[in-house]
Amino acid sequence: CKKWVDYNPHDDYKVTDLDYLKTESDYRTMVVSTYSPIQWLNQAVPIGDIASDNAVTGGENASDVLGLQQIDDYTITTNNDYLTEIWSSAYEGINRVNYLGQFKDKNPAGLTIDFAGKDALYGETYFLRAYYYFTLVKFFGDVPLFTNKRLSITDSRSLKRSSKDDVYKQIELDLNNAIAVLPPTNAQAGRITKYAAQALLGKVLLYENKFDAAAAMLENVVNGPFTLVQNFGDIFLQSGENGPESIFEIQYSNLSPYYNWGGATRGQGNYAVQQCGIRGLNGSSPYAAGWSTNLPTLELAKAYASGDQRKDVTVLDIEVYKTAHPEFNISYQVAPYKNTGLYNQKYLPRKGETSGQPELNYLNNYRTIRYADVLLMAAEANNRATTPNDNKAQTYLNKVRRRAFNDLLHDVTLTGTALKQVIWDERRLELAMEGDRFFDLVRTGRAATIIAGFKAGKNELFPIPQKEVDISQLTQNPGY
Amino acid sequence: QNKTVTGKVTDETGAPVPGASIAGKVSKAAVAADANGVFKIAVAPGEKTLTVTALGYTQQEVPVSDAPVTIRLSSSSKELSEVIVVGYGTQKITKVSGAISTIKGTDIANLRPVRLEEALQGRASGVNVIQSGSPGAKPTVLIRGIPSFTGTDPVVIIDGIPQTLDDLNAINAADIESLNVLKDAATTAIYGVKGGNGVIVVTTRSGKKNQKPEITVNANYGVQEVLKTIGVLNATEYGGIINEGSVAAGGNLIFPDISKLGAGTDWQKEIFHKAPMQNYNVGARGGSEKMTYFIAAGYLGQDGIVGGGSKSNFNRINGTANIGIDLAPKLKLILNTSYVNIRSKGIRENSFNSIIGSALNFDPTVPVLNSVPNTVGKYGFSDLLRSEIFNPLTKLDNTYQTSNGNKLYGKAELQYDILKNLKLTSRFGYTNWDETGKSFIPLVFYGPLNVENTMNADGATVVTKNDLGGISSSAHNSVTEYKKSNFSFTAETFANYNFNIKKDHHFETVAGFSMAKSTYNGLTATAQDVPFNSWTFADLTAATGTNSAGVVYYRDTIINGVAQQVRDKSGDVAPNLNARNMNKDRGFRKNLSYFGRINYDYKDKYLASFTARRDGSYAFGPDNKFADFYSGSLGWIISSEDFFHSNFINYLKIRGSYGTVGNENVNPPSIQVITGGPNYDNANNNGYTFGNSFLPGSTIGSYQNLALSWEKQKQSNVGFDITFFKNKFSLTADYFQKEVSGLLFTPSVSLYLGTAKVPDANIGATKSSGVDMSLGYTDKIANKLSISTSITFTSSKNMVTGTNTDNTAVINGGNYFNGQSQTVTRFEKGQIPGYFYGYKTDGLFQSVADIAKAPKQDGAQPGDIRFVDVNGDGVINDKDKTMIGNPFPKFTMGWNLFLGYKSFDLNIFTYASVGNDVYRAYERNANYTNKFRDVLDRWTGPGSTNNARHPRYSFTDGNSNIRVSDRYVEDGSFIKLKNIQLGYTLPASVFQHAGFRQVRVYVQVKNAYTFTRYSGYDPEIAGGILDTGVDRGAYPQARTWSFGIDFKL
Repeated sequence: CKKWVDYNPHDDYKVTDLDYLKTESDYRTMVVSTYSPIQWLNQAVPIGDIASDNAVTGGENASDVLGLQQIDDYTITTNNDYLTEIWSSAYEGINRVNYLGQFKDKNPAGLTIDFAGKDALYGETYFLRAYYYFTLVKFFGDVPLFTNKRLSITDSRSLKRSSKDDVYKQIELDLNNAIAVLPPTNAQAGRITKYAAQALLGKVLLYENKFDAAAAMLENVVNGPFTLVQNFGDIFLQSGENGPESIFEIQYSNLSPYYNWGGATRGQGNYAVQQCGIRGLNGSSPYAAGWSTNLPTLELAKAYASGDQRKDVTVLDIEVYKTAHPEFNISYQVAPYKNTGLYNQKYLPRKGETSGQPELNYLNNYRTIRYADVLLMAAEANNRATTPNDNKAQTYLNKVRRRAFNDLLHDVTLTGTALKQVIWDERRLELAMEGDRFFDLVRTGRAATIIAGFKAGKNELFPIPQKEVDISQLTQNPGY
Repeated sequence: QNKTVTGKVTDETGAPVPGASIAGKVSKAAVAADANGVFKIAVAPGEKTLTVTALGYTQQEVPVSDAPVTIRLSSSSKELSEVIVVGYGTQKITKVSGAISTIKGTDIANLRPVRLEEALQGRASGVNVIQSGSPGAKPTVLIRGIPSFTGTDPVVIIDGIPQTLDDLNAINAADIESLNVLKDAATTAIYGVKGGNGVIVVTTRSGKKNQKPEITVNANYGVQEVLKTIGVLNATEYGGIINEGSVAAGGNLIFPDISKLGAGTDWQKEIFHKAPMQNYNVGARGGSEKMTYFIAAGYLGQDGIVGGGSKSNFNRINGTANIGIDLAPKLKLILNTSYVNIRSKGIRENSFNSIIGSALNFDPTVPVLNSVPNTVGKYGFSDLLRSEIFNPLTKLDNTYQTSNGNKLYGKAELQYDILKNLKLTSRFGYTNWDETGKSFIPLVFYGPLNVENTMNADGATVVTKNDLGGISSSAHNSVTEYKKSNFSFTAETFANYNFNIKKDHHFETVAGFSMAKSTYNGLTATAQDVPFNSWTFADLTAATGTNSAGVVYYRDTIINGVAQQVRDKSGDVAPNLNARNMNKDRGFRKNLSYFGRINYDYKDKYLASFTARRDGSYAFGPDNKFADFYSGSLGWIISSEDFFHSNFINYLKIRGSYGTVGNENVNPPSIQVITGGPNYDNANNNGYTFGNSFLPGSTIGSYQNLALSWEKQKQSNVGFDITFFKNKFSLTADYFQKEVSGLLFTPSVSLYLGTAKVPDANIGATKSSGVDMSLGYTDKIANKLSISTSITFTSSKNMVTGTNTDNTAVINGGNYFNGQSQTVTRFEKGQIPGYFYGYKTDGLFQSVADIAKAPKQDGAQPGDIRFVDVNGDGVINDKDKTMIGNPFPKFTMGWNLFLGYKSFDLNIFTYASVGNDVYRAYERNANYTNKFRDVLDRWTGPGSTNNARHPRYSFTDGNSNIRVSDRYVEDGSFIKLKNIQLGYTLPASVFQHAGFRQVRVYVQVKNAYTFTRYSGYDPEIAGGILDTGVDRGAYPQARTWSFGIDFKL
């Protein structure tokens, strides 16, 4: 009689941990899910520009997209949904990777499941864990660090923040482990390759100001099979996804009906694209309407020299465009808040690139690490190395500039600090609206002089989510 | 030699009391009076006295006499002789030492409620009912406060069989014999883990042995209307305000000439309709020597006042057969069977883009009908509002939502009298609910500039073309059908044994066990492309949509003389994976319980009761499967004491109880691996798209909590019952306390655990206390005027005393949207459950100097709201949010008055709720939505107003005047004239020859008037703990004028 109230999850057709990781396919499927949370870090890209001098928040009014407004205005409070989502998503990714690590040698049932390519498969997860920690350390500084297991409820409140240095140490370890096992190419677009790991490690080393090591590491990628796409605008078209310049892209797609207003940034589509769109846009242009958020500043537009093909790819001046294309019959609503008249062309929503729930399901990949980025990083590393190699630095920089201007007339011959400044400026022009600007300014110590409202000693880091401070008794970052 | 006594039993007015029981006082041999109240009883020679009893009347003793006697019974105010139904048995009300509220079937029948809960409102003390206006919708029912979080619905027991509050939509009020509300641990502990929120015991009618058929026919027809509308701007005022808002934000005049706008359209007038409501019942009951029966059928039809019956309605057909058969002298079979069919149509409710929300917020300059040439669409459109808010008539016109449910429920019960006082009962109760539903979302044209159009102005489907002119994606209409099948059963066996020890020690005992299981299964399927965009063809079988993969286009080209294919996005066709979809939802629950109770009294004077229940639930970990619940109660009927001499007080009982009950509203947690796409529980997505191929992913989706256990409630109750002044007055009063520990609550865990689903844990605590009272008065004045009146009083104080270990767990609710997603209610330690949480306001900033002096408030300009720096840190931010209102009343009162004069009867019921706040959340507040009349009192310059409800108006709102604040909180206290009914019983002579025993006609007004200061439709806003009192444009209760006629045959 007592058995009447026994419960087995199988009664509800539920697959549990004990039913899983029994075959190679289970392992491979579980690795796929370690990728998902990088899609959820969606808002890290708009934040990287909105927090900088590249973009303003826009939106419907001052209280629309409040968290982004606060970041734009430097009135950042500890309750910021956007930052909380980045924090939680990164840690979900870390826990997913850790779970696989926990059961690498033996599965939950205690059996060993070996298969060809298992190490390389794990290499992907090490990269991803490094990516998650790198995101955390860039945003928040010291963060709780754990790699041994997926935490369970009893581990709640058990961790303290580890120092930034320790976190970087782990990131380097993970990336080196990944580099050791990953193949140089991968048949599936978007899968992590050895080059992606090397490029990310180069970037991480740059953030640590380890320029010698960064230069050496990036050299591997510079000499890899990548080329710059001649027509800059093509990179950001659908046809340009995972192209010859692509080293690592966060993949989004409109091919799956996986979107949910309850988790707008957690689907297979790219939510940030809808955000960038022009409000109430009508007419036959290739663009679709959106929410006038993440608007490029006039100052960014002015920073491009004439003849730089990157300007029109980066910012769309809607009035100019409308005048230039009377055949499209364009009508639109002027951005109601913080209007600049400019829109983020790199990630502007285009017709036919979404489906299902249109707002949530744009297919646009984030071009997270491009060859041009690697060239500029390598240029900077060489310029700032213990023994600078400005020659190399110029070569790499000029590759990028030649593509931008389609000529050799804009080559740079400067050296030393002057060259460094030019490389930094070039990073802004090349990578604007790709989410790097704020972190570059902080990394190079220029944020306080360039960003209005930025307080040195405080705004280098975002606040730890208040909820986490309250629950886990973590110390808050200074100034919040 | 037996002696035969004949006579007639009547009520105070002389009308016969059929079914009255006449018994020899010694022999207990009894007969029932016939339909005319006439009886004939053979009594033994020694018998001196007859006792005459009838439900609802005071028991009377008459001497045995030779001449025919006429016994005139007086109706009792407190039915002191009455036997009431409690868990697994019945009890004489005088012997009850727990807290119970009772509603008589006649009161319910008089009210003619659509749902039974309506009859509890204000009539049962200790019960708070917050009704909804939507036809057939479930109200919020709280029995003695809000002790729990995971569920506050009381258990409903229908003829011994557990059901849920949701099931009360299926019961016909005309079939109810009585409704008892078990309120304290003494009475609910026998339901153990399910009893924590109180128990509503519904007893349906049945026949009596040797009763002539008693047939009743009722018919009622009424018309419903909305009581009032909300003040919005007319077109001219709207144009003026929009111009002002635009200019203030640095924009242009939107309406250069507002003089042309006129009054415009009153959208509320367009959507509210007078809607019929009708109710017809027929029932018959009676019995023979060996069997009893009650059979009844009824129909209830209620059309909605919003949009009318073609879009919003509730139709119910009931059929009931309750049959009792003596299979053998000691063996009785009871078969109760009810069939219900419910058909309903619904509209979108309670949000800014619902029908009502659209009517309130839509552009008043738009004409009702579309007169723009070359555009499809019957109704007008706005060029200003281009999304979210549409013409409510267009929306209504394109709403198709129907459901059709069939329910079969009842029980088969065997009662076996093993000994004279030992009865064994075994029963099987079941409820089967099958519902199918369908909704259709057609292609709609909302206006040429509307971005949500799925149809173009010319009636063609909205498509996106690729650069080669092919269609890359297209809008689709869609039809969704669902089927739900729920089945639950309870199998119970128990024995009742009543015995006396030494004559004065009376025992009534029961012991038994119960097994229960409920399952639910739901299938939902959607298909696109319904032919002709028409409801006529809206069916999965007719829809032609099929899922299609995207087509990646390659162009043939020749490069360097070599023919090649080149990727060319301009010819791509987007995939469509929504053309056909299917979902399933399923689950089950299981319980196993053992229970027992001993009721004891000494000389009917000293009462004691003890209950124990051992409950097992499938939901809990192996170590916590079972839990024990106990309760005890004591009572003392002081008026039965010899020393008690009072001519004033006729009856006085004091009583007290203490015990534990529980709550198990969780599902068993497990470490689940989820694979594939989105998980709607926490929006996690587990796959990834590599290039163009989606690969499903797997991950751990939830945690386990082996320690999960019951929510434990300790309840104590003290009270008294008193009748005085010749039994004309009765007063019952109770004070209760409830303390919940181990409250089931979702703990807040460190965010670095990730996003897997966290199961509920026993981490919270709440405390409730309150007073219930009811005072009754029944009298007869000058023989012709009879009066019966009662007042109930219900109050409760609720407090969350803990959430998780460090009390950081907070649940936010009451979501609404006014340009931003907002939450207004909270469940948090140290506060009332579901309280309103937001900013306090302190007038308006009159000048720049004011702002400079005030705590730092980003974006403030003169004319903006000054928020209160609650924590005094000099900055207005999130930390200043505080308690700004309580949606639950401090107390509620009901006043029921019945007056009978000759053949006329008048029934008036008034209900009052005091101290409940309402949060106004229906104002969408976009630039071009309509505004509400208080904007006319807005700040227009220094000194114009300092009322925080009236800040300056501008399209930009840097100060966020629209944030959650007490600006939107209103006192929702109200007094409602809920029911007025005037009836007239036709003289018997008129109809008797036609075979009617009684014919009564009446007129009735429900929700006749509401006295309130609330500016919205209706301050009564139902919605569980976290949504009660949040008015997003809730469906208001209708005023119903009706006429009816009751026949008795």
